[in-house]
This record gives sequence, C-alpha cells and structure tokens, in this order.
Amino acid sequence: MREPNAIDFWRGLALVTIFVNHIPGNTFERYTYSQYGISDAAELFVFLAGWSIGIATRGRDGRPEPRGRSVLRLLSRTIEVYRAQITTMALALAMIAGTALVLDNPLLLEWHNAGGFFADPIQTMVGFALLTHQLGFFNILPLYVVLLGIAPVFVLLARVSRLAALALSFGLYFASLVFDWNLPSWPGEGDWFFDPLCWQLLLVLGFVAEDWNRRSPWLRTWSVRLVPVGIAIVVTGIVLSVLEIRPDPVLVPEPRLLFTFDKTYLTPARLIHFLGMLLAFQTLYAVLAPRLGPVAGYLTGLGRNSLAVFSIGSLLSLAAQLVRFWTGGGVFVDVSVVGSGLIALGFTAWFVEWRSRKPRPSSPPA
Amino acid sequence: MALPQAAALLAASLTLAAPCLPARADPAAPAPTGATGPATVVSPPKTAVMTAPGPEGAEALDVTLSPECRVPGSKLYTLARLGAVKLALTEKRPVRVLTVGSSSAGLGASATYPVKLETALERSLPDVDVVVESRGMQGEIASGAAERLRNMVAEIEPDLVIWQVGTHDALARVDAEDFANALDETVQWIKGHEIDVVLVTPVYTASLASDAYYISLVHKVQAVAAREGVPVVQRYEAMRYLSGQGQKGEGHLLGSQFRLNDLGLRCMAEHVTRAITLSLLQADAVVTGTTKAPAAVIVPPRDAAVKATVPPPPVLIAPGD
Repeated sequence: MREPNAIDFWRGLALVTIFVNHIPGNTFERYTYSQYGISDAAELFVFLAGWSIGIATRGRDGRPEPRGRSVLRLLSRTIEVYRAQITTMALALAMIAGTALVLDNPLLLEWHNAGGFFADPIQTMVGFALLTHQLGFFNILPLYVVLLGIAPVFVLLARVSRLAALALSFGLYFASLVFDWNLPSWPGEGDWFFDPLCWQLLLVLGFVAEDWNRRSPWLRTWSVRLVPVGIAIVVTGIVLSVLEIRPDPVLVPEPRLLFTFDKTYLTPARLIHFLGMLLAFQTLYAVLAPRLGPVAGYLTGLGRNSLAVFSIGSLLSLAAQLVRFWTGGGVFVDVSVVGSGLIALGFTAWFVEWRSRKPRPSSPPA
Repeated sequence: MALPQAAALLAASLTLAAPCLPARADPAAPAPTGATGPATVVSPPKTAVMTAPGPEGAEALDVTLSPECRVPGSKLYTLARLGAVKLALTEKRPVRVLTVGSSSAGLGASATYPVKLETALERSLPDVDVVVESRGMQGEIASGAAERLRNMVAEIEPDLVIWQVGTHDALARVDAEDFANALDETVQWIKGHEIDVVLVTPVYTASLASDAYYISLVHKVQAVAAREGVPVVQRYEAMRYLSGQGQKGEGHLLGSQFRLNDLGLRCMAEHVTRAITLSLLQADAVVTGTTKAPAAVIVPPRDAAVKATVPPPPVLIAPGD
C-alpha cells in the first residue's frame, strides 16, 4: 500500500466529484468545483492517469523498466478497464430495467441512452461489446480503454524523445479539432461523448509532466512562479461559469472547435482552464494534507483504488438517481444517498486493499 | 369536444380559409381516405387536455395515421409556423433535420424512430429530400445538456430541430421552473439562429399519471412551446389516449405499459411528421388563430404552401388558458 500522496489525494477528490455530479439535480451538485470552472473532474482524472503511467513504467530509481514489460503492463491495465466497463454497463442496464419493472414505469427505459439497448438489442449488444454504445455517465471508461490501448505508442516514443511524443499528441489533438475527428457511436448516430483523439493529449501531458517534474528543476521553479497566472485563470473560470458567459458555437469562426467550450473535444478553453487549475493548486496538497486529517486519508484511499472506486461509484450514482426519482428527491433523500454513497466508496477502497492483503489459496506465498 | 361544436368550427374555418385556397383537389395530400376531407386540428382548453381523456369517438381521429397510432388532433399537436423549413422548400434544397432526445439514441441501425421519421417525412413531402440526423443526448436541460445541444446544432447546421425533451429532467426531478427557464432560453437561442424547433413531450405512463411533478413538467414543455410559438407534439397525450384504447388486459408478460412504449416509439415518427406537415401548411392556410377559440386547418395543395412569398404572421393554435 502506497503512502498518502498528492496524486492519490486529487484523484480521490476527482472520484468524489464525479460521484456527486453523476447524480444530477441533487443538492450537493452545486457545491462541487465543476460548477465553478470551464473544465471539471474528468480532466483531472485523465491527467492523473497519465501521471500514474509515468510512475508505473519506471523503477523506484526513476529508470524506465524494459519496453516489453511496459507494453504488457499497459495491455493488462487496458483489459482490466474494459472488463470493468462491461461489468458496470451490464449491471447498470439491469438496474434500469429492474427498476422500470418494479415501478411499472417505462419512462426509466429512456434513461440517458439506455433506450437503444431496450428497443434495439441485437445491434446494441454488439455496440455494447465494441464500446460504441455508451450509456450517459458511463462513458469515461471507454475513453480510458482507448487511451490505455494507445498509450504504449506515446510511452515508447517518449523514451526516445519526450518532445516527439508531445508533438505527436498535440498534432493529433489539433487535427481532431480542425477536422472534427472522433470515434463513431454505433448503432446510434453521432460520436463518442469523450473524443479519445482529443483527450489523449491530457494523458500524454500527465505522463510527460511526471517525467519532467522529477528531473527538471527548471520546470519546478517555473511552475511555482506561474502560480499567479494559474490563479488568474481560475478566477476567470469562476466568473465565466457563474455568469454563464460562453461563446455561441454557431457564431464562432471556423474551425469552430478551437473556440467553443465543448467537453467532448476537450476544446482549448477547457484545456487552458485545466492547466491553470494545475498551476494554481499544485502546492495545495502539502498545505491541506496535515489539516484535513482523516479526510485526506479517505481521499487518498479512494485514489489508490481508483478503478474499483470509480466502477462502484458509477453504479452507486445510478442507484442514487433511481432512488431520487422514486422518492421524489429532496434534501433528506440527497443527504442519505450521497452520504451512504461516500461511505460505500470508502468501504470499496478498504475492501480492495483487504482482499489484496489476504493470501489467496490459489497463489501461495513464494 | 362535442361534435356539433367541432362541425361549426370546421365550417367557420372553411369560410375563413377559402379565400386563400385554390379550389382544386390536392393529389399530393397525405390523406389516404379522401372522403374524410380536411384534417381537423382542434385544441380544447388545456385542462381538458391534461385531465380528461375524451370518450372515444367524441372527436374525429386523424385518419392519415396508421390505425394503431390514430389519435384525435387535439391529443396530438399544436401547430406553429416553420419558417426555416419552408425556406429550404422554397429554395428546393434538402431539408436538414436534427432529432434529439432519448428515443433518438441507439436506434439508427434499425427501422425505428429516426429512420421511420425520415421515411414518413419524405412520404408526406414528396419531391423533397429530407436528411435526418439523430442524436441521443445525455444530461438535463437545466444543467449542461442545453449547452451540448448548442454544440450539436453548430455541428449539424439543421433547418429543423425535433427535440424530445423532459425525460432526463423528470428522472432527475429537476425543479420545474429551472427546467422551463433553461428550455425557454435554449428554444429562443435555436430560433434566434433561424432554425425551426418542434418540441415533443415526454412519454405517458400510467404509473406517473397522478405524479403532479411529472405532469407539471409536461405542462412546462407545452407552455414554453406556446410562449415561443413553436409546434409541440403531445407524445404524452397521444400515448395516454392510445393507452385507453383497449390495450389493457392483454396479459403481456411485462404489462401493457411496456408494449405501449414500443408502440409509442413507432407512432411518434408518424405523429411528429403529421405535426410538421400541418405546421408547414398551416401558416399559409389559416388566417386566424387565437388561444381562446379552437381553430381548424385545411390541407391546401402543397404548391400553395411552397409558393407563398410573404408569410403571414406566426399563427399558433395553443391550448387555451
């Protein structure tokens, strides 16, 4: 088990934010930081995933592990995430269908993109396995599967030249913005909710930043000097989102996606805002951790076990949505569902670590 | 609505409409049974719409619809002008339609709602190429989904947005006022870019028939449509009417309501098409329409609609208040 650290702490915070924001309409939604900026927890989550790849593919001394091992490690992680996506989607669809039956309420079958599965199961089952049919709120893991799948290219390239890896990543990002490249949905029309061709940039940035941060005193100096710039960007983000000021996507010049605020394509405004957040809050963990006590321990626990916590969190968010709909919502219901959800997330993290500590009969200690 | 009243109104509107209608039969009219004459669109007061489904036969069914989808006009739509679509027709270019909403997702591959919609629109607008793009949309109008819709509109640049709205906000129990404000703002935005909007109310289901919150959300969609002068397809009312038409007691494994959902999807394409076709014809044919008195619509020759150069002011037949 890792010691508490900044990465796990922020990832834990991103997980809690995603859990709360995935219960739309609930009382606590308006208190998450996503409501006060252009970017949100998804950016943080993907960036930290890249950062973690940087840590995982190197030894403790900072030397990269053998290439083949890195590729296999990423492949193994890709499979794990794919399995998590398939499992959570299947359970989510069963929860929606089951609730619709119990409440005798077909409205629920039209839950965010679930309608296609129930109306059109033959094609949609194929799309389900291909990750091209995604339920609303269940579309981060498909992004993550693709990102981990293509990560070896960037990881190996960065061993030759970090600049080349960044250039390839930026190039793909800009081309996708200019030409509207995205992976298609199927059988429904349209594209992926998170465009992997754009979002890969954050993963690569996280990966390269981890490396540079470790070995470049220049970067560390400058990132501290730039804290005021970060704060200015964060304040601008708060003003823009509170006043709901944003460009009209029909009126902006071409290429449109360079100017709009669009989550799907991680448009430049979102990227700049996220980088501003990074600059502004980079040193905050050291300040917060001693003062937060058990909260910091809780959040880093979630962050250490992010895949399990995220998967269970997705299902708990859905369960909370269904409970809110069934009961009609209200502050009492919101406190109950969010409170018990947070406890369940903590238990999930603890349980995963307990299971890994417990010797398994199939793998006796060497 | 009583029959004599409907007949009187029909007669009245015939008189009103006559001067602007060429006196010839319309070979392209979508009505398969010519003997029934003009399709009537009658809007009773809102209270009647929402609380008391009329007894069968009290009002003429719209016979241009498939038998299993037949619903009286008042249960089906309120109409308004569709300027952008009309412009596309005048310029003889393809009509680009963006259909958004929960039933628009995942159905592109088989002959369900979006595909049926395209077919139905092309059938009722012969010689017109209709291109339907359908998108599912996650999220609530009151938080985020409205913004996504704007990006979608910017990407697809449609002439018409058919927006099946309210399901997700209802599931999230979003405050009805917040929902209405966000919807109103977004409809204004779409219209502000010279794009037509047709709103579609969420599904009817017996288990929510007495849910005051849900009904208020359906009302909000109608109210926003009335305020903004855009057509609304009463999917809720249509399904409720159909659910009262002997669908009960079939002993289906999942209960009648679950079959109705499927039927609702299939009929929705027809219902939406009917509302659009009539809306296209309506502004040129009807010279009056108030929120108090129900009005009737006559289907004129399609040419008449296309050739109109100076469209009359927007006419809205909304449920009376």
